Amino acid sequence: MRSRKIEHAWSAIMLSPGLGLILIFIVVPIVLTAWISLHQWSMYTPIRGMHFVGLANYRSIFGDPGFLQALRNTLAYAGLSILFIVPLALAFGMFLFQGTVAGKSALRTVLFIPYMIPTLAVAIIWSYLYSPLYGPLNQILGWVGLQRQAWLGSIDLAMISLVIFNVWQTVGYYTVLVIAGLTQIPIAYYEAAVIDGAGTLQRVAHITLPLLRRTLLFVVVIAVINTVQVFDPVYVLTQGGPAGATNVLSYQIYKSAFEYGLAGRASSMAFVLFVILVVAVAIVMRLLRADEGTE
Amino acid sequence: MKLSLGARRRRGPDPATTALQVLVMLIIGASALFPLFWMLASSLKTAQELQAAPPVWWSHHPTLSAFANVFRQLPFARMFLNSVVIAGGTTVGIVLTSIMAGYVFAKHRFRGRGLLFSLVLATMFLPPIVLLVPLYRLVQSMGLVDSYLGVMLPNIANAFGIFLMRQFIAGVPDELIDAARIDGASEWGILWRIVTPLLRPAIAALVVFAFVFHWNSFLWPLTVLQSDHMFTVVLGLNRLVSYTSAVRFQNVVMAGATISILPNIVLFLFLQRSFISGIAHTGTKG
Repeated sequence: MRSRKIEHAWSAIMLSPGLGLILIFIVVPIVLTAWISLHQWSMYTPIRGMHFVGLANYRSIFGDPGFLQALRNTLAYAGLSILFIVPLALAFGMFLFQGTVAGKSALRTVLFIPYMIPTLAVAIIWSYLYSPLYGPLNQILGWVGLQRQAWLGSIDLAMISLVIFNVWQTVGYYTVLVIAGLTQIPIAYYEAAVIDGAGTLQRVAHITLPLLRRTLLFVVVIAVINTVQVFDPVYVLTQGGPAGATNVLSYQIYKSAFEYGLAGRASSMAFVLFVILVVAVAIVMRLLRADEGTE
Repeated sequence: MKLSLGARRRRGPDPATTALQVLVMLIIGASALFPLFWMLASSLKTAQELQAAPPVWWSHHPTLSAFANVFRQLPFARMFLNSVVIAGGTTVGIVLTSIMAGYVFAKHRFRGRGLLFSLVLATMFLPPIVLLVPLYRLVQSMGLVDSYLGVMLPNIANAFGIFLMRQFIAGVPDELIDAARIDGASEWGILWRIVTPLLRPAIAALVVFAFVFHWNSFLWPLTVLQSDHMFTVVLGLNRLVSYTSAVRFQNVVMAGATISILPNIVLFLFLQRSFISGIAHTGTKG
């Protein structure tokens, strides 16, 4: 048997590239973000020009209607996306898992393809679909006798327009997660329920949904992480407009840092986003753990 | 044998159920594909057709001239190459660092291993926007602004890859590794010659994940890259939109979009089996 020491040496050698890079490019920057957020500092001056201001950046951003709007918009974008994604992924997943017709795996592939495409391309394609005059969506609305919409140009609809194509792009991915969860449910439960005379709806409500809770919470965690950082469509399509209706945190952070050079202020916003993420993920993890306790 | 939630399955589905399912499938499939159809159809339209209201769904005189135009407007071939280098290089780095770290977390025993692994996993939740300001200054201080390495270096290790590899390596039997040790193989040799060949499906999944993610990436390349000849395809697409905002140039933008999605679609169609089972793995064993 080989000595423990040699194995420890190999552990260190094999871990160091991965963990070293994560330390330098993720851990150090998050600590620096917190540190810079307590300073006034222009992006364009050397780091020596940093000036300690305590919590002034935080006081300033929480008094800024633009930032508060970006915060609300980000939460709305994440919340609305999840509101669509969870039921749709559940419905598609159950359909693809239980359906009895041929072509299910082809449909899974088709559903998944949008997830492979650059979000920037998705945003541009959808902006043409939404085009009030030249786009097919208003044309289709016209066919069924509904009123044409301004979509991305409308204060009321701009945000939901972004949500719609996010759902379109990502629902296939979440559907695959749901299908994976469904395969874990023992078939015997359903057989027993059938013997007891339970109908389809009862089986879904009393077997599928409770046993899929972990999967659905996982879907929510991933969806939260993915949606609170939305940037590409806002940058390329709306620049936060109209009238700030689609201004989101990541865009506000990017603008503060790279257009106005306000590194301290941008970092305080970034840190707020970080805290939101930590809290959201912690809540869901707690639900997951509570779940394990009851099983 | 697929399981069914309905008891009806044993008798075979009745025709009405089958018809309904086919209808639902067609509706879902059409909604998923329509935007892509519109992209392709628009790239083939003429300027007149693009300016028609209501819109023309399929060109009467399909032309590829917009595709040629993309390469006249921008050094798009060079951008394509840049994307291949950046996404490809990052992917190779991720696969190597993930296999090594994943192996240690799966098969080596040392104090604090669980804690260290949890800390690594925690970094999975950090979006780049949160790190952007210090990360940019860090890369700048290394003199890597506007370079391939500047885009790639911060992404060469990630928690997701390490997690995925650990999950799969944990499934490799310990007996296999112990037997190799008794035969005198070094840890390095065991990892690359015994363990890695068993990971082929997992590596395929990680390759698709990493390549697609970094091919599609926008925010970080936008921050680091400055000159046209260093731009990735996605940055080129952004440039194309700002050059050609008029409706009659939609075909050029859509031609650029079509080119930008091709490598990912091809990669996905070739490796989708491993990829989808890899994703399913993250959901069920997490």
